[in-house]
Amino acid sequence: MKTTVYIIIGILLLVLEAAISPHVSLDVLRPELGMPILLYVTFFLGASSGLIAALSIGLAEEGLSAAPNGSLLFVSICIYLIAVAMRRKFFIDSKYSFAYLSSASVIAQSFLFLALSFFARGEARGAVSILFYTLPNAIVTGFVSIILFSFIEYLNNTVLERN
Amino acid sequence: MRNSIAIIIAILVLVISFLSFTNAPFVARSYSTVKNGLSSVFGPVLSVASKPLDAVGGVFDSYFNLVGAKKENAELKEKYERIYVENQKLVETERENVRLRKLLEFSQKKPNTMMAAGVIGEDLKNWFRCIIIDKGRKQNVREKMPVVTPRGIVGQVVEVDLWHAKVMVLNDANSSIDVNVEGKNTRGLLEGTGQNTVKLKYVIKNDDIEIGDKLVTSGKDGIYPKGIPAGIVITANKNKAGIFADIDVMPFNNFRQLDEVLLIKK
Repeated sequence: MKTTVYIIIGILLLVLEAAISPHVSLDVLRPELGMPILLYVTFFLGASSGLIAALSIGLAEEGLSAAPNGSLLFVSICIYLIAVAMRRKFFIDSKYSFAYLSSASVIAQSFLFLALSFFARGEARGAVSILFYTLPNAIVTGFVSIILFSFIEYLNNTVLERN
Repeated sequence: MRNSIAIIIAILVLVISFLSFTNAPFVARSYSTVKNGLSSVFGPVLSVASKPLDAVGGVFDSYFNLVGAKKENAELKEKYERIYVENQKLVETERENVRLRKLLEFSQKKPNTMMAAGVIGEDLKNWFRCIIIDKGRKQNVREKMPVVTPRGIVGQVVEVDLWHAKVMVLNDANSSIDVNVEGKNTRGLLEGTGQNTVKLKYVIKNDDIEIGDKLVTSGKDGIYPKGIPAGIVITANKNKAGIFADIDVMPFNNFRQLDEVLLIKK
């Protein structure tokens, strides 16, 4: 139940972001809204739920992006595997540690995408553009994930864990 | 045990997505079919989500300018805002009217070769310059269709789903267009940089080109028809090392302010 709710929220946020983007001219400030959901589900609901979230978010991102086929799903599954490996080592005790984690995963995502393009296709053409946006994306995602974390916790307390 | 199964499935998906990325024949085709099927679901959702945003877009921007007016008394403020919002709607309608009239005039030059489409979204990643339009396979949109506005070239269709299509914009890092300098014998490749300006490459330093020259498509790349305006030269540096000049071009279209575009049928 919780997994489904979080995934639906994540996908709705992605669709909304794609729809809002043409109306907002702040190109540098574009958060990765799928990433915090993926991390939250993997860290708090377990590896199986995390996999479903990684698959759904990865495919939704591919559907709303002109990225080459398979690339965003690949990156999203990589982040999921890293998150599973880190579950026992990294303890999320507040919304701030969650924000750090989200920001770090956005940076990891950019480098994974670059590595994939370079090693699998020998392409490095968009590298400058990707590197240019990595840090702003990570910072904005960090701030947004604080709000997302609070919102999910609020949902948990008021609706999802009420009984 | 459940965790191990999840990790094994994840690794399998990882391999499939990698094979799809590297265009392994069978995997790439199957993956593309699945992806298109899933993407088709997003088309209607995106259209629905973008409708109210279109309506309030201009009003929303203008509303921020009203923050200073909060000091005024409540009655006057309410009245002012109501009139202002109504006025903004009128201005927006007027602008839309002018824009659509231009689009109509442009498409009537070649009535059977153009198809109008609305912009309903933008790429999720700012790594790519891509817009999403509200026409898809149902309306006979095909990959590599050129996309233009009355001002000039926008880009080409790169992915088509049932209800919507993705258009790679001229300034995407993966875009390149064969162009000529209007009225001159100079030719080059217009390559996207991911930023607002684009680069004109492979123009020899001796070639006749200067700031203010207008670039039009050459029609030799097999995608874009000949003679569509692409941009204007803003810098031309011939003092750098090598045989080619370093030329920056400003596209005629502002890709962040596109509401409607035209697709050119082949």
